[in-house]
Amino acid sequence: MSDSTPSTPTPAPRPTGDEPVLRSHVFDGIQEFDQRLPNWWLMTFYFAIVWFVLYWTLYYQGGFFSNDQDRVTTELKAIQEVKNKELEKMLATLDNKVLWTWSQDPVIKNEGHAIYTRICSACHAADLSAKLGGAPLPGLPLNDQEWKYGNQPMDVFRMVGKGSPDKTQAIQMPPWEAVLSPSEIAKVSAFVMSHHTPPVAAN
Amino acid sequence: MPPSIKRPNLDSVTTINPDGSRFFPHPADVKGRFTTARRLVGVLLIAIYVLLPWIPINGHPAVLLDVTHRKFHLFGLTLLVQDVWLLFFVVSGVGFGLFYVTSLLGRIWCGWACPYTVFLDHVFRRIERWIEGDAPARRQLDAAPWGPAKIAKRGLKHLLFAACALGIAHVGLSYFIPLPQLYAYMKGSPMQHAAVFAGVTAYAAALYFCFGWFREQFCIVMCPYGRLQSALTDDDTMVIGYDYGRGEPRGKVKEAGHGDCIDCRRCVQVCPTSIDIRNGLQMECIGCAACIDACDDIMDKVKRPRGLIRYDSHKGLTGQKRTIIRPRIILYTALMLLGAAVLTWGLTRVHGFEMSIVRLRGMPYIADPGHIRNQFALRLLSKGDDPTTFQVTTENAPPGLTISGLGDVLTVPGGGELQQTLMLSLERPTYTGPFKFTITATPTDGRSPLKREVEFLGPDK
Repeated sequence: MSDSTPSTPTPAPRPTGDEPVLRSHVFDGIQEFDQRLPNWWLMTFYFAIVWFVLYWTLYYQGGFFSNDQDRVTTELKAIQEVKNKELEKMLATLDNKVLWTWSQDPVIKNEGHAIYTRICSACHAADLSAKLGGAPLPGLPLNDQEWKYGNQPMDVFRMVGKGSPDKTQAIQMPPWEAVLSPSEIAKVSAFVMSHHTPPVAAN
Repeated sequence: MPPSIKRPNLDSVTTINPDGSRFFPHPADVKGRFTTARRLVGVLLIAIYVLLPWIPINGHPAVLLDVTHRKFHLFGLTLLVQDVWLLFFVVSGVGFGLFYVTSLLGRIWCGWACPYTVFLDHVFRRIERWIEGDAPARRQLDAAPWGPAKIAKRGLKHLLFAACALGIAHVGLSYFIPLPQLYAYMKGSPMQHAAVFAGVTAYAAALYFCFGWFREQFCIVMCPYGRLQSALTDDDTMVIGYDYGRGEPRGKVKEAGHGDCIDCRRCVQVCPTSIDIRNGLQMECIGCAACIDACDDIMDKVKRPRGLIRYDSHKGLTGQKRTIIRPRIILYTALMLLGAAVLTWGLTRVHGFEMSIVRLRGMPYIADPGHIRNQFALRLLSKGDDPTTFQVTTENAPPGLTISGLGDVLTVPGGGELQQTLMLSLERPTYTGPFKFTITATPTDGRSPLKREVEFLGPDK
């Protein structure tokens, strides 16, 4: 492969009088030109120095700006607060009676069904029987009349959000409040309760 | 007082004065075939830059890099962040392509196609020429004391420069923000979209600075490609060069015993980076071919053949045999084709949807007396705008393996994703050890399915 320097160099150009000054210092036959850096280049260098001083003082020493860790923490806190507020608001209006009414609302039921299919059906089966092809799944059946942890809609709501209260078992229902919003939990609870008959008093 | 005309040499950058201050070159007007061709290419490229975001392909602009939603629409193809690995092959392919073009044709990119040169030569220098006049008039204006006429001319020029910079900045922004949204932003208060507003202002300011003041300094000092070129060219590269043997010794037209160069310095006057091409190929040369047109014009006038300055290789210029196919061309071609081939293969691997299956956190398997179960999280992601339905099935699974959590079909919202928990269950006597099988997601609209292999785990016997 050929070298990047031309093999037959063009004869040296004639002097123009604008050539840079050559320093007298010689080392191993190498000489230096005495040329200034472009002023704009020097300005970027000085700017970098000023920037460093300001940045180091204000950010690392002065603590005037929040760092990434703080910002993430604040953001997460804000998200949690929004969630807490929503839950509070939800719980203020939500009771067994409301959930029973919701369980009869076809729109809410459909939304709850979608969440159920996505999250719950793996363990509780698509038909709530907690059985797949006759084999039992890890979840409890939700379509029978046996309730291990309470038979009221609000019991189901708490169960979905907080997970199984019995923490001794090897397989247990995880808390879903980190994944689902309070209104989603309410809707999926309403869907589960739609498989049951509301008490006469609620109607 | 810095000089208004300099004699370029090989040892220093002409556009930097000995005291470090800036020397502003005022390239003279030039006419000719390369100048005309370059203007046409420039206008065409500007039209392409401006129009690309306006041309809809598959319901999206031809180019829209939607950073906010992390969706990148390129000529009908929608790429998500997951496809970013393709960028490696785009960059390496473009890089080797540039290697190839440079070793073959020198800095043809810089002079003809680089957006920086395109905007500088065909927009900003035209405005300057229009307002301040030709090169001598501009030099005169530079030297003139500040007065109403100079203030008016300079003011108008910089006003137009700023307007063009803002326009180009908005064109640039339209590659990242859809046009209707950008128009709404432009009509709204700057405070409503402070970040975008600050970004476009900074971008426009940078363009204004570059085209209004910095100009060739960028190409000479900052552009990494310009710095690389000396490593990519050799004696056989087609560059713009001066036929030393034919031109020297320089002398007046009427005197005998001289070469063809009449030392009229037209080639120096028209050079946008203020070099003397007769000193040979130099770092500053952006290959704009202005000196070719200038010299051809002079040669026509003195009735000598054209091409004293021409596109040629160093070997061609020194009367040696020209070679086009040489080892580095073969190597760069191979590397470029490799990059292009991998990119093409990569594009065929990009689906309109994605599937991932990961084992749920916690226990790798759940075993009770009758059954062994594995839990997986299935994630389906659709890049298209319409909802997509999938049928999820298993392949190579042993009989008796049941999956709970899969309905008949799964519907993924357009441009969204669906996460679903899968519970795989196997009767204990059937289980003889860990095994692998395939889960397939088939879109019901007939597109080709995606497959993922998963492993079913259980206790030792």
